Amino acid sequence: MKSFIEFFSSVKLAIVLLIIITVSSTLGTFIPQMRSPEEYVARYGQLGNLLNGLQLTRLYKSWWFVFLLFLFALNIIVCTLKRLSPKLKKAFKPRIAIEEKEAAVLKIKEKLKNSLSLAVTKEGLKKELSSRHYRLRETEKENKTFLLARKRILGWFGADIVHLGLLTIIAGGIISGIGGFRRSLTFSEGSLLDVPRAEFKLRLEKFETEFYPNGAVKDWKSTLTVLEKDNPVLKKVVEVNHPLSYKGFVFYQSGYGWNWTNPSVEIWVKKKDDPSFLKKTELKLRQRVRLEGEDIDVAVLQFIPDFVIGEKGQITTRSLEPNNPAAFIEGWQAEEKIFSGWIFARFPDFDRIHSEKETDLAFELKNFKAGQYSVIQASRDPGVNFIWVGCTLTMVGLFFAFYWPTREIKAVLEEAQNKTGITLGGLATKSRDAFRSEFEKITTSLRRLK
Amino acid sequence: MNESTFFLITFILYIFSAFFYFSFLFSKKENLARIGFNLAFAGLIIHTLALIWRTVESGHAPFTNMYESLSFLSWASILAYVLIEWKFKIRKAGPYFLLIVIALMALASSPLMPKEANPLMPALQSYWLWLHVSVTLLGEAFFAFAFITSIMYLVADSNEKKGSAKKSGLTAEKLDSISYRCISIGFPLFTLGGLVFGMIWAYKAWGSYWSWDPKETWSLITWFVFALYLHTRIVMGWKGRRSASIAIIGFLAAIFTYFGVNYILAGLHSYA
Ligand code: HEM
Repeated sequence: MKSFIEFFSSVKLAIVLLIIITVSSTLGTFIPQMRSPEEYVARYGQLGNLLNGLQLTRLYKSWWFVFLLFLFALNIIVCTLKRLSPKLKKAFKPRIAIEEKEAAVLKIKEKLKNSLSLAVTKEGLKKELSSRHYRLRETEKENKTFLLARKRILGWFGADIVHLGLLTIIAGGIISGIGGFRRSLTFSEGSLLDVPRAEFKLRLEKFETEFYPNGAVKDWKSTLTVLEKDNPVLKKVVEVNHPLSYKGFVFYQSGYGWNWTNPSVEIWVKKKDDPSFLKKTELKLRQRVRLEGEDIDVAVLQFIPDFVIGEKGQITTRSLEPNNPAAFIEGWQAEEKIFSGWIFARFPDFDRIHSEKETDLAFELKNFKAGQYSVIQASRDPGVNFIWVGCTLTMVGLFFAFYWPTREIKAVLEEAQNKTGITLGGLATKSRDAFRSEFEKITTSLRRLK
Repeated sequence: MNESTFFLITFILYIFSAFFYFSFLFSKKENLARIGFNLAFAGLIIHTLALIWRTVESGHAPFTNMYESLSFLSWASILAYVLIEWKFKIRKAGPYFLLIVIALMALASSPLMPKEANPLMPALQSYWLWLHVSVTLLGEAFFAFAFITSIMYLVADSNEKKGSAKKSGLTAEKLDSISYRCISIGFPLFTLGGLVFGMIWAYKAWGSYWSWDPKETWSLITWFVFALYLHTRIVMGWKGRRSASIAIIGFLAAIFTYFGVNYILAGLHSYA
């Protein structure tokens, strides 16, 4: 047990752990994380198997990384606890009487004599120290008077507060890891979904994408209603950076998508030898429509948002974004098919129409409308409040550790032959230069005492 | 007059400032250093105007692409420099530090960096963008200064050991202590801006305060290196060469977090 405490309170261990954790974190940024095991083998060959085996491919969730963090946390706990009780004792039950040689080993010190009585000297010194916000303690022993003056005691505990904050953050991380959960919910307008693991439902009233003048996406806005037992209780517009919180769940706008199952397509029909001829029609998929004033029917049989010809010559979509929209149209005269083929929104002059019969009609895919759905991420993260508390403690602790240096002055006063001898020693945890000049001011004022 | 004119004037002022500082190094005339400092200060003021101009014109924080971010980092570095110089009066670090700033400004004005202000993508439209980036970069500016003083320490220390050190001026010991003071300013700023504000913003925008994306991980790595610096120094009493080396590694990690992650590693942060 003793050697266990010895081992885990050592700062050397902390340094070794810090180095190992830092180096392994680095590895995780160079090896892509969380892909499938096959991908690594395909990419790195034999090495891929090794990476999989060492869990370097899911490093931050691997047992050994978590174990390192656990050791690190244990290290902080043991180290802090071990140092804390002597520190508390020193702060709140300090030894006031000191040997003169104790003051003499301090870096900042002074010895002086005056011809006043001890009582007067002491009162003068106390007044000076109090005016500089020192808190005083006093005792007497063997004709000597001892003063202990200190200020900004919290500075001593800065590092401990930081460490406590870090532990709280690590605890929050563990709680998030165990109890947290997230799920993407896909809504189209009007749809009602059960929130997993919750008692309430969500309905998407409205979904809008806002654009900048240059066409880039400015924002996605989902108007969501929370329903408890089918009664609406809350309505809020969720946008990126503005989530909705309800009963421990948080809902984020995480993305959007297109519903390509039933788009409607706008087609312009022109005649090659009649520039004034223009007919616009809007079609649903597989809906056969008579061209106004003509004896021809057209239908859109297929719509592809991101047209591409695959390796084997097959037609597919590269993505679900409308990057290269294409429609497959067919034309009929009575029951006879007269043409069919692909037209492209991005390339109006290019088509792949195959005609059975002579026609001077030309078709352009002008526009399309498809439903959009909103992707909302639902998450519950019971660790998150620990994180915020931990961050606050850490910042407060850093402030105290660096900018609230404890200062301590010890004084021994002794009266002999109507003279008073004073030995002063001082200690500051940080910014010693500033302390030295304060210390000098105190000794100067002692010398001037009348 | 527009933003790029202000930027150019600033750049020229920094170059002149460095020029005077270097003349001071060679001639040892104090008033040359004073001129250098005043030029850097004038540059800071014009630079501030350039940043304000940019903000008003684009309607968003002046650090949403690499050009803006580099310009802001240069500004933060000069700001840090003015504060440090005012507090510690170490003229001799000025010329070297200005070289870093000039390199950043040159990179910002290179044709590789698109200058136009683009409208903000949805995730960036948050006031946490301001807090996160500005505080982090200010912290990094202090790390940059500690980097310079650490290198100067290594040189001064080996000169002192060889006995060829000049008696007066900046001793190795003083440089060591200034590195530490800079890190003790940079560390809390970096913790607050890079990690705390970063986590808050990630939670608001992505719904998760930490996702081990490469930029996050590299910020953490940088932070760990400086934690290492503090502990070896405070608890184990390391000083001097070893401390200086860790401070140098820490700054290199910060630089990698800033540039390397964007150009070498990809992740959620790849837009900034
Ligand atoms: C990344 C993790 C850590 C951070 C950010 C951190 C932060 C700090 C800070 C800011 C200080 C004050 C430094 C100063 O006053 O200049 C400190 C001191 C200290 N740390 Fe840590 N710490 C970490 C991990 C650890 C661990 C694992 C140990 C375990 C042994 C440890 C042991 C100490 C000790 C003994 C001190 C001196 C405390 C004192 O003033 O009494 N630290 N730490």
